[in-house]
Amino acid sequence: MSQESGTVLAAVPPAAVAGVPGPAPRPGRRSRRGLGPYGLLLPAIALLVVAEGYPLVRQVIMSFQEFGRAQQFGAPPEWVGLDNYRALFTDAQMWAVVARSLAFCVVTVALTMLIGTAFALLMLRVGRTPRVLLQVSMLLCWAMPVIAAMTAWQWLFDTRYGLVNWSLNTLGVGDFTRHNWLIEPLSFLLVATVIVVWMSVPFVAFTAYAALTQVPEDALEAGQIDGANAWQRWRFIIYPSIRPALTIVLMLQIVWDLRVFAQIHYLQGVGGVPSETHLLGTYIYTLGVGQSEYGMASAFALFVLVLTLVLTGHYVRSLLRAEAP
Amino acid sequence: MKLSTLTRTAIVTAVTATMLAACGQGSTTDTPDAGADDTPSADDAPADGDDPSAGPGEAPAAAGGDTLTLWLAGETDTPVELEEWLVTAFEEETGATLEVQRIPWGELLQRANQALPDPDNTPDVIEMGNTQVPTYTSVGAFEDLTGLLEELGDIGPEGFIEAGTYEDTVYAVPYYWGSRYIFFDKAAFEENDLAVPTTLAELSEAALALRGASGDGYSGIWLPGQDWRNGISWIFAHGGDIAVQEDGQWVGKLSSAESVAGLTQWQELYEGATTAPQDGRDAEPWVPFNNGEAAMFMAPSWARWSVEEAKAEDLGAFALPGVDGGVAPVFAGGSNIAISAQSQHKELAADLLRLIFSDEYQTMLAENGLGPADSEFTSLMGDDEFAEAAIAAASSAKLTPASPEWAAVETATVMEEAFGRIAGGEDVATVAKETDAQLADLLNG
Repeated sequence: MSQESGTVLAAVPPAAVAGVPGPAPRPGRRSRRGLGPYGLLLPAIALLVVAEGYPLVRQVIMSFQEFGRAQQFGAPPEWVGLDNYRALFTDAQMWAVVARSLAFCVVTVALTMLIGTAFALLMLRVGRTPRVLLQVSMLLCWAMPVIAAMTAWQWLFDTRYGLVNWSLNTLGVGDFTRHNWLIEPLSFLLVATVIVVWMSVPFVAFTAYAALTQVPEDALEAGQIDGANAWQRWRFIIYPSIRPALTIVLMLQIVWDLRVFAQIHYLQGVGGVPSETHLLGTYIYTLGVGQSEYGMASAFALFVLVLTLVLTGHYVRSLLRAEAP
Repeated sequence: MKLSTLTRTAIVTAVTATMLAACGQGSTTDTPDAGADDTPSADDAPADGDDPSAGPGEAPAAAGGDTLTLWLAGETDTPVELEEWLVTAFEEETGATLEVQRIPWGELLQRANQALPDPDNTPDVIEMGNTQVPTYTSVGAFEDLTGLLEELGDIGPEGFIEAGTYEDTVYAVPYYWGSRYIFFDKAAFEENDLAVPTTLAELSEAALALRGASGDGYSGIWLPGQDWRNGISWIFAHGGDIAVQEDGQWVGKLSSAESVAGLTQWQELYEGATTAPQDGRDAEPWVPFNNGEAAMFMAPSWARWSVEEAKAEDLGAFALPGVDGGVAPVFAGGSNIAISAQSQHKELAADLLRLIFSDEYQTMLAENGLGPADSEFTSLMGDDEFAEAAIAAASSAKLTPASPEWAAVETATVMEEAFGRIAGGEDVATVAKETDAQLADLLNG
């Protein structure tokens, strides 16, 4: 993928990239242009430092401490060096949680991206009325508060009175009388996947649709005249044009699905076997808020941060490289 | 699609923010709730400022204009008229204002964790579930109430006082108690010629006989698989226990012969008499009853008011019977109440406790079906079968192990999962042994 972006850029003459009309740029103008945008970012950065920086520093410190409920009520924390990390990395359950979360993330992100992009393409093709209908319903999914949506989903998958069991029974798919969707960890995660994908598709679809409307009409026309079929037009014209947008969305989805919390926490409260269905978020929550092992929870949270950076670093880099002159 | 430098920088910033947020989510000390919680109590701040000068023992008149904050657990658990009485009586008595905040049970621990250590935001008086209290008494979150005890009268139940005691000092006193008993459909029992069971074995027989009595999904007793709060009674009835302290160490007792006997009887009951889901818990057990899909269910006394009118006519109640008759020990429900160690109005807070333990308030509690701390008023709960069942069940109620770490067992859903596995047909002894190991691990911190 990064190789491709290299070739695209290589095809563009360097002068066009630099975009400088005269032989020598006026220095004054240049520096104003360079600093202005950064100045505008200052308030956001200041907010980040206060709202995120402080907790982060505190978390790093706590991850090297024995910090429990007694410490929360004023007892001095004890420095334990790398003990928290050692306990964490030798814990089989923790690795099971990491593996489960990664698998969950890969599946949900892939499904979300595929379905979202497919919806975007669909919106491009269909007429105005169905498109508006589609957009409105997706906007409603997207705007629905998580807990409200989860309550509805819980009822849909209810063991006794759920619509899903009733529908499957009525359709004759099999005997789903009092079928319990949450008791098996795999089935639990399947339900969670359906819900998380349902909630994330609208964002992907809208972003991809916005990008699709920017695909140059003339390039498509030229491709058509040259005899490119639908697949080739997608592969060589549409996809390369919307890729930057898709990359950003993909990155955000990875981050979101890796730290998914509310949906899993809610489902665990409803049924299933929590110790076998923990993902990163709920596991850290149980460690910290539940068992007051704030030191351990901090250590794990930092590990998750590193994991997230590793997973998304590639995309951040390719984004930056794609735009570098 | 080309992105300008500005867009690029913005993206990087946004992505960085999101990733930091990813870890912020995991960070447990800074939840978004904190900000919201601060708002109401922030109003008190100026009043608090000049308070330290007005030390404890100051005459109540000096308290004019002060506001005392009381946290009540649950949106509706304390009836509104009781709250109104408290507010009015408190103002008459002290001249200060009483502000009552109702905290949903699900948020209570988390919000208490944030507010109690903070003198500016702490509630002055706080109600807490009896199993939650030990978690806080051991870390110095509450004020020593030993000096106040005598004034409050002859209060109980004993188990609640124990729950509020740490190293021989009483930090939290009983607020009210409730108890669990069996609700049953009299019509269903009559149609099947069944009498009210007097032993646990008879209860099983009746439940097994009623299974399927009215359709395939009909339960003799509604017994959700992970509902350990009710299921634990079968262990208690056989003389078993969850965990006990031996030589300063907590030891799990689910694998004792007594506990295993109780769990085995419960497992047979689950397998033969119920259609409740294996991962069901104690939420809304009256729903299947209302739908005509269960002949019995076990729940705290207040479940009575959730039974629909059509069903209420045939609704009966009895205390869960013991192995050889009598009454089986149930898991005691109810609350304790305490003064925050960080309260800036400790004398006013003590005045509030005196009001709560006044004859008037204790009478109102009892008349509303909430077990009064002062046993003198228990008879006021009524003499119908519901009150009788409640009082009988409470007479031998038990609490969870009084370890400060018990909350960890609850949040790790150790008991839920153990009962769920047993309901799923796993070997009782094996599950019990594994759970004992987990209990020892968590309870010993």
